[in-house]
Amino acid sequence: MSDVVIQTTNLSKELTSSLLRRKVRILSGLDLSVTRGETFGLIGPNGAGKTTSIKLMLGLMRPTEGKAEILGMPAGDKRALAKLGYLPENPYFYSHLTGREFLDFAGQLFGIESKQRRERAGELIKTVGLSEAADMQMRKYSKGMLQRLGIAQSLINNPELVFWDEPMSGLDPIGRRDVRQILLSLKEKGTTIFFNSHLLPDVNEVCDRVGVMFKGRMVVQEKVKNISGQGNYKDLEDFFLEVIAKAEADSGAAAAAGTQSKEAVS
Amino acid sequence: MSENSRNNSVDAVIAIALNTFRETVRDRIIYALILFAAIVTVLGIILGSLSVGQDIRILKDIGLAAISLIGGIIAVFAGTNLVYKELERRTIYIIFTKPVSGWQFVLGKYIGLCLCVLVMVAAMGAFLSIIVASVGSGFGGASFFDQLREITQELSLIYLELLFVTALATFFSTFSTPVMSVLFTLAIWLAGHLGESLLELGKLSQNPFLAQCLSIVFYCLPDFAGLTRIRGHLLYGTVPGTEVLTYLITYVLAYVLMLLVLAAIVTERKEFT
Repeated sequence: MSDVVIQTTNLSKELTSSLLRRKVRILSGLDLSVTRGETFGLIGPNGAGKTTSIKLMLGLMRPTEGKAEILGMPAGDKRALAKLGYLPENPYFYSHLTGREFLDFAGQLFGIESKQRRERAGELIKTVGLSEAADMQMRKYSKGMLQRLGIAQSLINNPELVFWDEPMSGLDPIGRRDVRQILLSLKEKGTTIFFNSHLLPDVNEVCDRVGVMFKGRMVVQEKVKNISGQGNYKDLEDFFLEVIAKAEADSGAAAAAGTQSKEAVS
Repeated sequence: MSENSRNNSVDAVIAIALNTFRETVRDRIIYALILFAAIVTVLGIILGSLSVGQDIRILKDIGLAAISLIGGIIAVFAGTNLVYKELERRTIYIIFTKPVSGWQFVLGKYIGLCLCVLVMVAAMGAFLSIIVASVGSGFGGASFFDQLREITQELSLIYLELLFVTALATFFSTFSTPVMSVLFTLAIWLAGHLGESLLELGKLSQNPFLAQCLSIVFYCLPDFAGLTRIRGHLLYGTVPGTEVLTYLITYVLAYVLMLLVLAAIVTERKEFT
């Protein structure tokens, strides 16, 4: 079996704005490969294309150009989806269900047998610290509780690979610590983890490699051990700010060059 | 398809159906609508008592009309929100990042809503039967079981029509906003009841081209008028033959299947941005 579990080649996405029918490129030529057992963190400012990248890898969106392969299968393939877990950004679930009912529902979608589903749901409820709220309707859940439940549902099938979009969002410091621990225990088990986050200290602590995105492009990919406390960078935040500053300067220079060449032509 | 993947397919449909059923029955508006149907049914006693010897018929007519209307409202409003709500709340991401196909999603949603409509129609029908039985015994009318049989036959036809309406609402909900879906569903539902008038209009126009166009529209629209006609016969104690019933059931199921297949194709091609 191949060791590469996520492979994207020139993955690009254009959207058409509904009013002016103008095409907007939200992701350009993403080339990425993540190996089995690796923890990859995707970082970048808002609107950089992080969530779009995940949606393309999961088959929720179709690429305009390029392709994505997950576990050796095309993005969105049901056989691959059966082996992965996904936590969407700011999750909002069925408010009429209790947390336990929701986990049961998620397990049923994977075709997990009833007894196994109940056991797994019970384990996960404990892991994410929702024991007291498990039988409460989700309409009464706080943002942090929904986030915890979202993490639990993404693990119901014991996935080989997880995609988490902003897993620390909405969590208090205790919640963040708990999620960090879950991430580390998944890592220990050999699960491949791909996640987006703005919280760089957490990324620094759990990731093997990071990719920095800016305006729909992957600007740099680097191993975390090569960044923190080494070379010119104090820590990951320092590295990130410098990469973004350089990317901004490059994009400004490119825009200026474009304007100059237009003026020269006219 | 292996036995295991077939089981998984069925599991996903059942899970989505039960979730939809639970979501719909836990909506308090539905109970307000059922209460309204019950009040209208009770009012039927008063209206029935004003007639001469037709009290049970009027009570049944009013009660069944209320059930048909309320069942229709539940089917249209819950149906047109089926997919839109999932998109708006982004719960659809949770479903389509699991091994679930578009057809499983659409079928599960449809079955869940049909199950909910069935329970509501049965509950309102039970209430009507009790009222009819209590009023009927006082006036020495037909036996309780005769009344129950007639009401059950009527309710079955109402439910058959609601299966149709639910499929229409489900189909429109896959690509349109709830408001537009409600308008489209109600327009087709109404046009389905007035279909034969289109043929008449074609004849009256004496324009062969217009008559041809209207007859094409007539054959494309669902024929709800046929169902209403049979319900009318039932009210007067004429039970339709097996052939007619088989034709009706096959017609409705074929139409429902076509709408669900189209809904599944639309869902499968959808992008979730």
